[in-house]
Amino acid sequence: MDVLVENVTQVWGGGSRAEVVALDHLSHRFRSGRFACLLGPSGCGKSTLAQIVGGLESATSGSVRIVDPAAPAVARPLGADSVMVWQTLNLFPWRSVIDNVAFGLEVRGVPPAERYARARTLIASVGLRGFEKHLPGQLSGGMRQRVALARALIMERPILLMDEPFAALDAQTKIVMQEELLRIFEATRKTILFVTHAIEEAILLGDEVVVMTARPGRIKEVIPVDLPRPRSLEMVSSPEFGALFDRVFHLIREEVTAAMRQQDQMAAAS
Amino acid sequence: MTRKQGKGAAWFAERVLPIGSVVLFVLVWEVYVRARGIAPIYLPAPSAIAVYLWRMILDGTMEYHLGVTLLRIFAGFAVAAVAGVALGVAMGMSRIVAAVADVWIAALYPLPKISLIPLLIIWLGTGEAYRIVISAVTAFFPIVISTYAGIRQADRGLVKAAQDLGANARQIQLKVVIPAAIPAIFAGLHLGMGVTIILIVAAEMIGGSSQSGMGYLLINAGQVMETEKVFASLVVLAVVGAIVIKLQQWTDRRVAPWAHRDDR
Repeated sequence: MDVLVENVTQVWGGGSRAEVVALDHLSHRFRSGRFACLLGPSGCGKSTLAQIVGGLESATSGSVRIVDPAAPAVARPLGADSVMVWQTLNLFPWRSVIDNVAFGLEVRGVPPAERYARARTLIASVGLRGFEKHLPGQLSGGMRQRVALARALIMERPILLMDEPFAALDAQTKIVMQEELLRIFEATRKTILFVTHAIEEAILLGDEVVVMTARPGRIKEVIPVDLPRPRSLEMVSSPEFGALFDRVFHLIREEVTAAMRQQDQMAAAS
Repeated sequence: MTRKQGKGAAWFAERVLPIGSVVLFVLVWEVYVRARGIAPIYLPAPSAIAVYLWRMILDGTMEYHLGVTLLRIFAGFAVAAVAGVALGVAMGMSRIVAAVADVWIAALYPLPKISLIPLLIIWLGTGEAYRIVISAVTAFFPIVISTYAGIRQADRGLVKAAQDLGANARQIQLKVVIPAAIPAIFAGLHLGMGVTIILIVAAEMIGGSSQSGMGYLLINAGQVMETEKVFASLVVLAVVGAIVIKLQQWTDRRVAPWAHRDDR
């Protein structure tokens, strides 16, 4: 599934409150089966873009279309082909691991025997066998992250939207989860939109790094990452990786500086 | 070694000190009353209160009045809980219900419910109905307000996640919004239980035609200056009230263990 973003603008506030332009006429084609990383300073609207693509926010103007390259004429409703993994995870705290993972099937009306069987398989595949009956509050951050991933994967939707999913994890757990995600990507070849503010993560995971500007969010540059797959963490020390890192770093530094200046101004104004 | 000592000190502070303070208080009270020779009609010694309490338990008066009061408390609380949670949920799910109910709640909530007692006695007499109604009406408000607030403040992230996973509006209400409100509903039920206990005992003091209940026991003993009986009743009320609240907390933990985790 291609994700075709055309002239998307998102404006918050208005009326009595000051308008904030989060996204400004942003256009990009996220290609089918590719791993795209959206990289930008905080507040640049990258999470908003992911939510608009997932049909969870509506853009002020512009359009997002999901296009199946095999049947480009068929119009597809937004949200039906994608599933989100949230930064805040948004696991249901009163539901056990298995009932969290099976939620999507439950609301679709899949009978219990079938949905639990499928949930069990996925829970095992993310390494959580034996924790089916635990509540999210009884798990570590990394384990909760795996539950969130399994809950999204069970939907078997071709597009995976990930909003800074590993931002809250400690360094070691983050590495393990990145490798896990790379393995899943190799196995499923989903279209992935991965929002992050970590340059290294974006290069390690992505086929392309979409660098965004500070508010209002525009695309500053799209940098293709042609490191071979399967990727591994050792690549971080290769000269190719280093060259890409330098390039992205220089682009992002200007934007982070700009974003900090904006925040200072907003703090001074309020 | 030092850590063990630290733990021992914490254990002493958390477990021994609270009980110790009660024991010390009772001892000081006993010694003070005996030393100063205070008349029991003003302040009976704890030992004298204990003797009266024991006698009242042996002849069955305490069990009878306590049982009657507890039944009334649970009846009033049950009515308030069912009505309060039901209306709170309905308000959370329908803007029209919320708008209409909000006017009534805004007008009636600040009214001290005890001021309704004369009217209720005119309408209902001084029987069981009046006591149940006055306590249920009072407990209803904190329950409905907490329930409504809990439903309105349901985590937007959870709602969006459910929507993303394909849940429709009705499924979101039933499977996300209402469960997410359970901690707030429990908070409302705790407040409701507290005021039910207060109102039932107060109502038993006024218009005690049924001649029963802890409130009747208290007011009756007070009128004939049996101060030991007054204190014995107060002790029972305090202990039973604490037990009821603890039971409620225990039920909460059983029903909604996720709501009490600190590490969520």
